[in-house]
Amino acid sequence: MAATETKLRKEIQTPVSHSGSKVTIVGAGQVGMVVAFSIITQNIASELTLLGVTEDKLKGEMMDLQHGLSFVSNIRITAGTDYALSAGSKLCILSAGARQREGESRLDLVQRNADIFKGVIPQLVQHSPDTILLVVSNPVDLLTYVAWKLSGLPKERVIGSGTNVDSSRFRFLLSERFNVAPISIHGWIIGEHGDSSVPVWSGVNVAGVRLRDLYPAAGTAADMESWNDIHRQVVQSAYEIIRLKGYTSWAIGLSVSVLAMAILKNTRNVFAVSTFVQGTHGIEHPVFLSVPCVLGENGIIHIIRQTLTEDELDQLQNSAATLNKIQSNLIF
Amino acid sequence: MASAKLKFHTQISAPEKPSSGRKVTIVGAGQVGMSIAFCFVNQSITSELALVDVMEDKLKGELMDLQHGLAFVHNVKICSGSDYALSADSKLCIVTAGAELREGESRLDLVQRNTEILKDIIPKLVQHSPDTILLIVSDPVDLLTYVAWKLSGLPKERVIGSGTNVDSARFRFLLSERFKVAPNSIHGWIIGEHGDTSVPVWSGVDVAGVRLRDLNPAAGAESDTENWNDIHKQVVQSAYEIIRLKGHTSWAMAASVATLTTAILKNTRNVHAVSTAVEGIHGVQHPVFLSVPCVLGESGITDIIQQTLTEDERSQFQKSAATLNEVQSNLVF
Repeated sequence: MAATETKLRKEIQTPVSHSGSKVTIVGAGQVGMVVAFSIITQNIASELTLLGVTEDKLKGEMMDLQHGLSFVSNIRITAGTDYALSAGSKLCILSAGARQREGESRLDLVQRNADIFKGVIPQLVQHSPDTILLVVSNPVDLLTYVAWKLSGLPKERVIGSGTNVDSSRFRFLLSERFNVAPISIHGWIIGEHGDSSVPVWSGVNVAGVRLRDLYPAAGTAADMESWNDIHRQVVQSAYEIIRLKGYTSWAIGLSVSVLAMAILKNTRNVFAVSTFVQGTHGIEHPVFLSVPCVLGENGIIHIIRQTLTEDELDQLQNSAATLNKIQSNLIF
Repeated sequence: MASAKLKFHTQISAPEKPSSGRKVTIVGAGQVGMSIAFCFVNQSITSELALVDVMEDKLKGELMDLQHGLAFVHNVKICSGSDYALSADSKLCIVTAGAELREGESRLDLVQRNTEILKDIIPKLVQHSPDTILLIVSDPVDLLTYVAWKLSGLPKERVIGSGTNVDSARFRFLLSERFKVAPNSIHGWIIGEHGDTSVPVWSGVDVAGVRLRDLNPAAGAESDTENWNDIHKQVVQSAYEIIRLKGHTSWAMAASVATLTTAILKNTRNVHAVSTAVEGIHGVQHPVFLSVPCVLGESGITDIIQQTLTEDERSQFQKSAATLNEVQSNLVF
């Protein structure tokens, strides 16, 4: 080390090599990079590692992120293809994998991405045995199951980003009709992050005033005010955005970074995320689906028991059956 | 309107004013423009945002994607389209539109191409927001800030170039790797051209008031055996290198512009290296725009910080000015 650096600083002790709130993101694509940028600008973690397959791209992204550090709180950023870089991670975010193509459903992606996970998950767990896995890659519910199976981790530490973003889309679209901020509208979409997600109309409210109290038919077959159009738009959202701009990134990236914040800071916020739901809402299969969960440092702490209508329960159980069928045909 | 909504609302006063007074328009929905937009949403920098570009489908997709994240943050009213009327009543208009630097191309090569684009954009922005501040990001930023100023008819303190704010951030990051302290605990400024001839002010580099030049008087000079100047070379090469590796730059530039926006909208009077009219500064005799540390607020640039430069730094600064002036004089408006 050159003489000048040593003249400046008098060493009191050696710095820690791995700080407590380290996050690894696997996959430096559109979604992974938005999660990375959001984590950095929101001061969520003290250390961030980007893992992927393309060395040049990883290096370029790392440099670009580092060059913004004087505007934010410092965070140590590393990037590369070697999983050893991920050692000591509190949280590993999986955004790697093939993307939905225009018109392709999420279920079509599953075997392709399960194969990718076989190479990724065991290595992450090897280098960070106490980590929490947060799966974003689609189809997220199936891949969270795959990640759980491949990891050997307890189910509370394998989480799928699930319908967190669907719920955000739901709240935004409701906000346009109610003309209040999205954050002031409460509404949950649960179940599959996909075509068969379930909007829990009975819970939709603003300031505790339920939509169903004002209009009991809201979201039902008898609805004359077309509230269900909103759910259809949520389901179509990703396909529509992919058609218009090629991919989705901002909403999903932000939705994942808020989950990271809740976990790393042990906030006990409630989010709709994909978790093991056998035994919940009458589901008999060992599948992962989204329900509102309390999140903390050790992963999923509680599942919030919503009171669902017969129809909502049926829809969830049907999703579970569909996922179970696909799961049973996956090659591990 | 649905009956459920009527039952639910008791209106107390008329709906919100058309504009919040802090509206920002971003022209150009490319990598940089959209990363800036995301910063605004993510960090609650403004509550009203307009995105203007020519590609309607892409804009619509970007708009939807941003809106779908709003349940996690403070609400932002966002609109998008190709009609400049959307930009009306903006406090700040950020121009990122323009051709991108190609691999191997210098910023000066871009200038006439982007001047043509600005001729279309700037008058429309000013027409719809006569009191706005313009923040130019498109490269070559110093020349294009001059062009924007000429085309806008606005006073010079309200036409700002993002300049060497990001170069200074890169400088501080690279210094931080050698000093092993956080980048925002290292103070160092790069001024002049946002480009190949930027000027690192080595005399001012310090940590906790301890100047690098007090520890090593040769730091950054020709006689420097510790190669501090490699850091400046890396800053100059950064954009080219990142473009080579990942195809474009976005994150650092977005963080830089978000920081400038916050200073302007919140009237913070922070000091940032931004591109401004420097005729009369550091012996510059030409009507050019170059970066110097400026105090930023609601009315734009209120002060220039007068650094004490070495002979060599002054001379480099003046040479940049002369080069830019020559290019400027050949521009077709």
